[in-house]
Amino acid sequence: MADGIHVAAALGWLTDPWSQPIMVRAFVEVALLGVVGGALGCWIVFYELSYGAESLAHSIFPGLVIAALLGLPLLLGGALGVLVAAVAVFLAGRIEKIGRDTAVAVVVTSLFALGVLLALSPDSPPGISGLLFGDILGVTDSDLAMAAVLAIVVLVTLRLLHGRLLAVGFDRSSAKGLGISATIVDLVLLMLLALAILVAVQGLGNLLVVAVLVGPSATARLLTNRISSMMAVAVAVAVASGIGGLYLSYYAKIATGASIAGVMVAVYLLVALISGLRNRSAMTPNSATT
Amino acid sequence: MGARAVRLRGFEVARGARESVEKPTGGGASVATEPAPLAFTRDLSVGYGGPAVIVDVTFNISPGDRIGLLGPNGGGKSTLLRALLGDLAPSGGVINIDASVAALPQTERSRLDYPVSALDVALMGTLSRLPWWRRPGRAERRQALDALATVGLGDLALRTFGELSGGQRQRVLIARALVQDARLLLLDEPFSGLDAQTSERLMTLLDELASQGCGVIVATHDVEQVQRWDLVLCLNHHQIAFGPPATTLTSKVLEATYGGSIVTVPGDGDGPSRVILPPHHHDHG
Amino acid sequence: MLEPFTLPFVQRALIEVLILAVGAGLLGTWIVLRGIAFYAHGVGTASFPGLVLAEGLGFAAALGALGTAGIFAIGVTALHGRRRTGYDSLTALVLVGCLAIGVILASDVFRSGASIETLLFGSLLLISWQDVAIAAAATVCAVAGSLVLGHRWMAAGFDPESATALGLRSKVPEFVLLALIALATVSALSAVGALLATALFVVPAATTRLWTSRMRSWQISTVALVAVEATAGLWLSVKTDAPPGATIGVLAGVVFAAAALTRALPNQLRRHAPVAASLALLAIVGIGCGSSDAGSNAAASGSAAPIVVVAATTQIGDLVTVVGGSEVKASTILKPNSDPHDYEPRPSDVQATADAKLVFVNGDNLDAWMEKIVNESGSDAKTIDLSLGLPVKLPGESEGAGASKFDPHWWHDPTNAEAAVLEIRDSLVAVDPSAKSSFDANADAYLRKLAVLKASITACIEKIPSADRKLVTDHDAFNYFATAFGIELIGAIIPSQATQAAPSAGDLAQLSKLIESENVKAVFPESSLSPKLADAIAQQTGATSKYTLYADTLGAAGSTATTYLTMMAANADAVVRGLSGGRQSCSIAGL
Repeated sequence: MADGIHVAAALGWLTDPWSQPIMVRAFVEVALLGVVGGALGCWIVFYELSYGAESLAHSIFPGLVIAALLGLPLLLGGALGVLVAAVAVFLAGRIEKIGRDTAVAVVVTSLFALGVLLALSPDSPPGISGLLFGDILGVTDSDLAMAAVLAIVVLVTLRLLHGRLLAVGFDRSSAKGLGISATIVDLVLLMLLALAILVAVQGLGNLLVVAVLVGPSATARLLTNRISSMMAVAVAVAVASGIGGLYLSYYAKIATGASIAGVMVAVYLLVALISGLRNRSAMTPNSATT
Repeated sequence: MGARAVRLRGFEVARGARESVEKPTGGGASVATEPAPLAFTRDLSVGYGGPAVIVDVTFNISPGDRIGLLGPNGGGKSTLLRALLGDLAPSGGVINIDASVAALPQTERSRLDYPVSALDVALMGTLSRLPWWRRPGRAERRQALDALATVGLGDLALRTFGELSGGQRQRVLIARALVQDARLLLLDEPFSGLDAQTSERLMTLLDELASQGCGVIVATHDVEQVQRWDLVLCLNHHQIAFGPPATTLTSKVLEATYGGSIVTVPGDGDGPSRVILPPHHHDHG
Repeated sequence: MLEPFTLPFVQRALIEVLILAVGAGLLGTWIVLRGIAFYAHGVGTASFPGLVLAEGLGFAAALGALGTAGIFAIGVTALHGRRRTGYDSLTALVLVGCLAIGVILASDVFRSGASIETLLFGSLLLISWQDVAIAAAATVCAVAGSLVLGHRWMAAGFDPESATALGLRSKVPEFVLLALIALATVSALSAVGALLATALFVVPAATTRLWTSRMRSWQISTVALVAVEATAGLWLSVKTDAPPGATIGVLAGVVFAAAALTRALPNQLRRHAPVAASLALLAIVGIGCGSSDAGSNAAASGSAAPIVVVAATTQIGDLVTVVGGSEVKASTILKPNSDPHDYEPRPSDVQATADAKLVFVNGDNLDAWMEKIVNESGSDAKTIDLSLGLPVKLPGESEGAGASKFDPHWWHDPTNAEAAVLEIRDSLVAVDPSAKSSFDANADAYLRKLAVLKASITACIEKIPSADRKLVTDHDAFNYFATAFGIELIGAIIPSQATQAAPSAGDLAQLSKLIESENVKAVFPESSLSPKLADAIAQQTGATSKYTLYADTLGAAGSTATTYLTMMAANADAVVRGLSGGRQSCSIAGL
């Protein structure tokens, strides 16, 4: 009998948060974007695009301001801003001496500074930077719909490009010999990243977007070798961290986005620590003389 | 020329046992053949954390040995070189290195754009001898210039590395190895992209180094070229064969090394067959 | 043409950027060579938790930032041993970890005030000599590190696979490089802020990289380019009255784009590059000289000139303008248009403060940054903290050493506004006794309007059944309003005033239950914040979130709330409509 009470209490503890519609929405959003983050994030990690994942969001800002000044729909402006930034990163990254990370720094710094200057215009509406960042607890129906569409677009595109992404990522120089254009693969990947950031930043906020795109896939990279299993593990880690972070935020009353992001980083550190210890024990002297 | 003599004679001086990766526990006695090997492996396996990329590699290299490391792309040649270099730890077996090691990396695009002169590259060889807070001084500079003169690049010392020809770049990297006092040289596809004459010149330089007591390991997928070396190690995820090319390179070994992807043209008798590899094995870089 | 450089705060900014140019240019070449731009960007941004801690525990902000940056450098170095996570993913993970800790500290531990964001942003025009000293120290370290360890940094990037064989086994030189970048970036925070530090540290080095093939010439040309871009950007920003950090950022980006395009041009066109460059330079000078000089407006002071007064916030600016009338030339630092948190003062603001006789601040930590503007502009103005002489004071909710004892949103009670008007009047009279009659008359007229305002709002609110007078707002800004007009405050959605702070799921669930059990009719978003959270709560609880309140600033031009009186009336109207389910409204005549 006492067991039954405990089970009921535990069940109540587990189900209580989900009686709140806000929590359910937050979960759906984090699950949808966890799928995107897990699948796309593996390529982000593989292609070393983490800087882009962190910073491209800032290039939405000038797009928003310009759209506001011209009277265009703001979302269109934001989309243009981030896509222009992705193309500019791609072009600057093609200069051999520059490299991808430096290209991101150059493009994002310039565009963000441009946005700051443009926003000084008296015609620019107030609170425009508020459009830039979302909060996982304030997810709207349109955020959810966009996240669902994004998930489909990302999954379909990645499925279509899978072989090419793998070939170019494995050996860029030989990809050309196989009839694969590294240019197109790079550009499409950057476009997908830009799209994901545009949608996800409004739903999750920038901090959580970086966490979702990099954390689970870096964790999965420690656990598996194959890109397909890596994606599955990354999606699982993303969704599980999302649920764990939501519980943590619900019961410990910690800021939600930060608690989900913190759980993702903590999972990575834990896995890195365990696999580091395992590797070290595998390299003790006796194994060297087997 | 005087510089070279001095430099190369330096190789004869027995250097203290430098272990780069693992000291064998009791393995030394079993391999105590006359010229102490510069390096040996026993049942070596190496991987990148997951399943091993190469397994069961067992070979010796002694002073003066020139070993051709033969295998298909992705067959584990670079992995073995990285293990010998100390960049990768073995996941099983023994690797013992009793000499200072230097690698000549493949020429990659990023390296061609790197803002260094030939002298800067040669100077990198002095860093292993200096504590980390010391910068190379005049003596190190002299040494680097001497080494560049030895490989015949004395007057190009201040040229940007990327502006040199392919053969000159390889010689700069050999100069760096000389400055390092390396006795074991690891070269990854050093002849790709070089014309016949330049290749010949590089080969002569390697021969000279070997005659001075250096061990040389050259990774390649070119079966014809490997005939020149003293020994050949065939590698395709595991060691297929190890021995003098004339007796080792049978069509059976070659087939095992390259899988079904080769066409062999039968030669006379048991001798090495002429091998034509599928085109993409050749277009490297 | 060079008159901007005669202003003392511009001179100090120039010294700062010239010192920074050496360190940033030198380290910039290593950052670009080794491809660690993300690290350079991240290490500045990651100083957020350090700044929160510094404010919460009451130690120097620079120390907090340096401490976090050091932990960041150690974290990246320590984790980098794991071969299966690339440097960039690691940087992202450590950065996310730092920011998450910062958000939790700001939201749930210290409930900090808003002064952190100004630290993250920084402004070249508000450099103190202490900042210059830190920049100089960082630069000296960068030069020394480069001289001693440059060969190792170069070798490790040239041939990472041979690193062990080349004797680069020690992690110390690599860590020193990361630590030096951390030190230099943090020292630049107060000048350009975390988001634009890369404008000094990465963009110029990337530009010169296109044209140089050797380390030495690259380093020298980068230092020169940073110095030129920063000087030109500073000059241009004073000339066009734009924030200097963003101006330098855009200038650096344009120079990079021009350099990259020139390289891509065919040779015969490239010969014209010098001509194009000179034309571009002329255009910049043209923009600069064509625009009105920010400095000269305020500086033109004659004997009959009005009193120059600076107000920190929009509502104080409005009160000062009304009381001062034509005898006073009032500037307001915050614009209704710009969020206080991503605000970098413009040159004209600093110049106005330098010339001002009086500076009115809100006090109670809402505008702590104003003190910095007054100090660093070299102003000898008298600063009047309006929060000191108020009749109604409510306790503050922030915690930690830097927190205010009192809630800073005092102006939402008209009784306090009356006291502020009297204080402003007396301060103006003290400066210019000859205009006393004019100030008295203005103040008296305004006090009458304030009385009307107060009575009207009270009347409006009283029409709402007392059981319905329950307020839920976006953040805790309406204590004074609620207390003054007899409204019960149920709660606020955002637990703190820092914009990086965020609510927890638990807090929101509790608030939702409270809204349902108390039968609250409306949740009020704020004009300067995203309404999403308020909308979500409203949707969940069945309350409305249709009506927006003005919390921290007046409305922008074109809105109904451009003055203090209309802002208060708009808030009262929104509250009445919200709490009555849209059946009642509150329009106040005679303002």
